[in-house]
Amino acid sequence: MSGVRRFVARRLLLGAAQTVAVVLLIFALTEALPGDAAVALAGDQPDPARIEAIRAALRLDRPAHERFADWALGLLHGDLGTSLTSGRPVARYLADGFGPTLVPAALTVALLVPAGFGLGILAARHEGRTADRLISSVTLAVYAVPEFALGVLLVTVLALRLGWLPPTAVGHGTDLLADPSVLVLPVLVLLSRPVCSLARLVRAGMIDALASPYVAQARRYGLSGARVRYAHALPAALAPAAQQLARTVDWLLSGVIVVEALFVIPGLGTVLLDAVAERDVPVVQGLAVVFGVLTVVLNLGADLVAHRLAPRAGVAA
Amino acid sequence: MKNREWAEAKDEEPVPDDPASAPAPVAEVRDLRVEVGGTVLVDGVNLTARPGRVTALVGTSGSGKTTTGLALLGTYPPGARVSGEVRIAADGPVGYVPQHPASVLNPARRVSALLTDIARLRLGRLPRARRRAAVAREVRRALAEAQLPDADTVLRRFPHQLSGGQQQRVVLAQALLLGARVVVADEPTTGQDALTKARVTERLAALAARGIAVVLLSHDLDVVRALADDLVVLREGRVVESGPAHRLWSAPRHPWTRALLADRAASDAPDPAPKTGPAALRVRGLTARHRDGGRGTAEVLRVPELDLRAGECLAVLGRSGSGKTTLGRCLAGLHRDHSGQILLDGVPLPRSLRDRDRSALAAVQYVFQDARAAFDEHRPVLGQVARTAVRLRGVPADTAAREALDTLTGLGLAETLAHRRPGQLSGGELQRAALARALLARPRVLVCDEITSGLDPVTRRGILGVLSTLLRERDDLALVLITHDLESLAPAHRIAVLDAGEVVEEGPAERVLRAPRHPFTSALLRTRDRLGAPSGS
Repeated sequence: MSGVRRFVARRLLLGAAQTVAVVLLIFALTEALPGDAAVALAGDQPDPARIEAIRAALRLDRPAHERFADWALGLLHGDLGTSLTSGRPVARYLADGFGPTLVPAALTVALLVPAGFGLGILAARHEGRTADRLISSVTLAVYAVPEFALGVLLVTVLALRLGWLPPTAVGHGTDLLADPSVLVLPVLVLLSRPVCSLARLVRAGMIDALASPYVAQARRYGLSGARVRYAHALPAALAPAAQQLARTVDWLLSGVIVVEALFVIPGLGTVLLDAVAERDVPVVQGLAVVFGVLTVVLNLGADLVAHRLAPRAGVAA
Repeated sequence: MKNREWAEAKDEEPVPDDPASAPAPVAEVRDLRVEVGGTVLVDGVNLTARPGRVTALVGTSGSGKTTTGLALLGTYPPGARVSGEVRIAADGPVGYVPQHPASVLNPARRVSALLTDIARLRLGRLPRARRRAAVAREVRRALAEAQLPDADTVLRRFPHQLSGGQQQRVVLAQALLLGARVVVADEPTTGQDALTKARVTERLAALAARGIAVVLLSHDLDVVRALADDLVVLREGRVVESGPAHRLWSAPRHPWTRALLADRAASDAPDPAPKTGPAALRVRGLTARHRDGGRGTAEVLRVPELDLRAGECLAVLGRSGSGKTTLGRCLAGLHRDHSGQILLDGVPLPRSLRDRDRSALAAVQYVFQDARAAFDEHRPVLGQVARTAVRLRGVPADTAAREALDTLTGLGLAETLAHRRPGQLSGGELQRAALARALLARPRVLVCDEITSGLDPVTRRGILGVLSTLLRERDDLALVLITHDLESLAPAHRIAVLDAGEVVEEGPAERVLRAPRHPFTSALLRTRDRLGAPSGS
């Protein structure tokens, strides 16, 4: 399969270029923001002399391209630089934030796949009947509710009124697994919209596949209903769902800022939000690199899966 | 045409030659009527399929062949009201080979997937330990019987990695593996070249020789003639005549049967006078390449020299994959990757469509095989036809519409049809509209790429007649008729035979057909003679 290998190599090269472009763009945008780390650090005493001193200490007074070149050189040696505000290495920030992001993300995916596929297949099997109408309308309705609104609603009802679950993850630090009950609400909110989009995609794909002549042929030749559904119809319906799943995993791993902020989870999204507020450029760029690489790798994986499932479509770079 | 005469259906039991020795039928259709939303698709259809015999359902498109064939499979269109009786005597599933075998092969699964599942069903009784090996053995045997010797390679492939012929054989292998006693083959040769047709015919004959009852749905008279033991002639959902094939061929009783089975009716013969004068189009040293999956390029066509005079029809004849379409595409500027020159009235045409100016674009027009795909389904045909004159000749819209209507009616398309959307026109009517659209550019060269393949014989003759008339009426027009079909050569003055990208023979049509000089041409013509030999007379 040298064709596929060449495709992977080409996509990785392209992905590297895309990541570089993202990092450059992020650097330019943070430069364009009013204020810098020195202003943020000066805090309540915005005395120009003091800001100048901090600026000199942080070596922010050098021209932008020099600072960027320094950072990029470090990156080539695997050094993501140090935070401007705390002096800690950026790599530590990422390592600390990754755990709290990964745990809810992994749980969400673990529930998302069976729930999304199950609902989609169920709806497709009963196309046009009550089960399908129920699933289709509920998924549409839930999909229309943004994460923050659903989060606020769930916290108000389940945590504050009924007191069943803790409203936030405050006080649990980065070890969320110590008390799994704090994870229930965030995972529910993270799950809500992806499950709807996945179920609807699987439903559409399955309905197409079940109506196809090749499924009719398999049925005609006496194969059992389950065998036809799972071995012959489902593989043909998977390709778009796999792509959607990759986008969802990418979205989850990049730290869903709204959800992390709402439940006070110290994940990557929170790290990003704080870093932007403090104009902590090295941290922002470190995150941009990580998110860029994640996106490239996940989408490449999804394309390979799609290629396996719909080989006729070929591979496009 | 006198409909009064034809409306009278003359049913006759398909009686085998010697009723005493006739095997019991394995499938029977009695008085079938299928109605969808008030439209009667078939009415009063009777059909008997006997083991080892080929029963052919013939008729033009829309005559109810497919509806009847699918009824044998227990499949009806959605919302259909069905009455009558379909009885499958041998209790076993019915095999199905559709017109496009790829449609029943799952694009996401390897060829082995369904074959293995079918074999497993049949061997369900075996203990698990022995089943695996037995399943593999059965699948291999079925593939071998379907003339696919290289089982290991074929089983690992995805359907799109197989040729059309291989796909058809895989579908046949499914039916054989199933142990089907009846196989329904829907238009198995439509759109195939003569050599492929001969192979498909052999495959189906082999199927019948195994004692399987073959129900052939076709409007391809060559194959029907070569294979059918019994014939059922359908028209507008009714049986107009049925009986043993040799009787219907030699003495058709119904006028419609006579019209349908008419032997390559001498459609308007071309003006035999050889065209003289300077060539309108010259091709010099043409070599066309295709990119070969990024691995470099492959030469697919070499035409050292080819001339086309005004008023002349040049047929480019060859099998699929011989480079015919590439030649047409080079002329029209649709295939850029070629060297050599294409001169129109002595002036070289730019290689790509993008570099040709309006008059050069108008001068070479292209009519595609799939007329339905060549029209926007949401807009009326007339506007789309008129657009050519507006775009390429700068004619005002109302003049263009008038001209389009004249051209359409001139080609035999009623005015009411011209105002409809493509979905409401038949394949033959749309092909006429596509021709009209190309003619509105006032082209010097018209490239017709397989425009009659997939049409039933009556419609095909109509379109070929239109082409002959065009040549007579417009003396500045030259026609390039790309075809694999020996039946579509009627309008041709000259024939160029292509094989594997090389012009193996070129000359006056009559000479090439009567005394071919190249072995490949002889082989092509022989297949016609073999297929076309009237059976039983």
